[in-house]
Amino acid sequence: MEVESRRINKAVQWTLGVGLAVSALLMIAGLVGSLAAGRRLPKAVLEPEPALQQALHLHAAGLLSLGLLVLILTPFLRVAGTLVVFLRQHDWRYTAVTAVVLTVMIVSLVVGQA
Amino acid sequence: MTFVAILLVSAVVGVIGSMLGIGGGLMLVPILTLFLGVPVKTAIGCSLVSVIATSSAAQVVYVGRGTTHTRLGMTLEVTTTLGALAGGITAILISGRVLQGLFAAILVWAAYSMMGRGRDADAALTGRLDTSFVAPGGAEVAYGVRHFPLGMAASFVAGNVSGLLGVGGGVVKVPVMNLVMRVPLRAAIATSNFMIGVTAATSAAVYFGRGLIEPRVAVPTALGILVGAQVGPRVAARTPTARLRLILQVVLVVLAVQMVWKAVSG
Repeated sequence: MEVESRRINKAVQWTLGVGLAVSALLMIAGLVGSLAAGRRLPKAVLEPEPALQQALHLHAAGLLSLGLLVLILTPFLRVAGTLVVFLRQHDWRYTAVTAVVLTVMIVSLVVGQA
Repeated sequence: MTFVAILLVSAVVGVIGSMLGIGGGLMLVPILTLFLGVPVKTAIGCSLVSVIATSSAAQVVYVGRGTTHTRLGMTLEVTTTLGALAGGITAILISGRVLQGLFAAILVWAAYSMMGRGRDADAALTGRLDTSFVAPGGAEVAYGVRHFPLGMAASFVAGNVSGLLGVGGGVVKVPVMNLVMRVPLRAAIATSNFMIGVTAATSAAVYFGRGLIEPRVAVPTALGILVGAQVGPRVAARTPTARLRLILQVVLVVLAVQMVWKAVSG
């Protein structure tokens, strides 16, 4: 019998925590920027590349879009992080299981974009 | 003004959703469309964002406490994500209203089945995916999983439905894990909370890529939920299991009624 391993817990907690903090900070920064410029929030997100570009230039629209994008990526990060943990634990069965899930996620993403 | 309204509503939805292992999408969409006049497509995009935010934020707490059964959740997600991928095919074969009716029937079954189960009397090691977690109060609850193939099949169906209705599927996952697979309620909630994030992530990413997420609505939703979903697990830890079960039943019944209404009125 195994108690859900501490290592998985800590690694995942940390990964999620960082991802969420980055996401929240980006969104709040974008919010502040919009308020300062007296503008309402945009009605559509920017695509990933323009969002990144604009965010780097500290434009509100980019910051907001990037913040949402990072949030949406947190589950991908979580699964990838769990994969690494299982690998390091030499738990081949669950490394495989997690790899399958990650693969299906990415395939769905690609198929969905088509 | 709408910004603040969405923020507050989302915070509440985040608390409730994270306590029950559901994503809040099914609660948020009606509120956004009926009371705040948000168009359906935008509301669904928002719903996906809310499911992910609920999942990731609550998992920080649930995983930290070891309540989430990561191995079980990950295994079930194999069939769930495949189900979601197949959802597109199902959409062609079954009409939307039939689907909603089916979903409502599942919710009613789940709410009914939860009755009279005041305690998780069936928690026992089975040699299958055995694990344990520490319940509020300090007792260690050890349990294994039963009816695994059935659980996998149910997850496939849940994934299918999730993809089509734009939700995380938690309302199906929690009852299936708790009632069919005999996972203690708290662990079922935490594990479902983990799974819904994975299920919603690809749909959300696709929506984002197609420019269908609206920051004006999604940002206050995300921020509200990020706060609410960190409070929820902590409130849940102070809530007796029987009461959690009752709250879940009430929510399931309300959602079922809502679904039936939609299926009937088209």
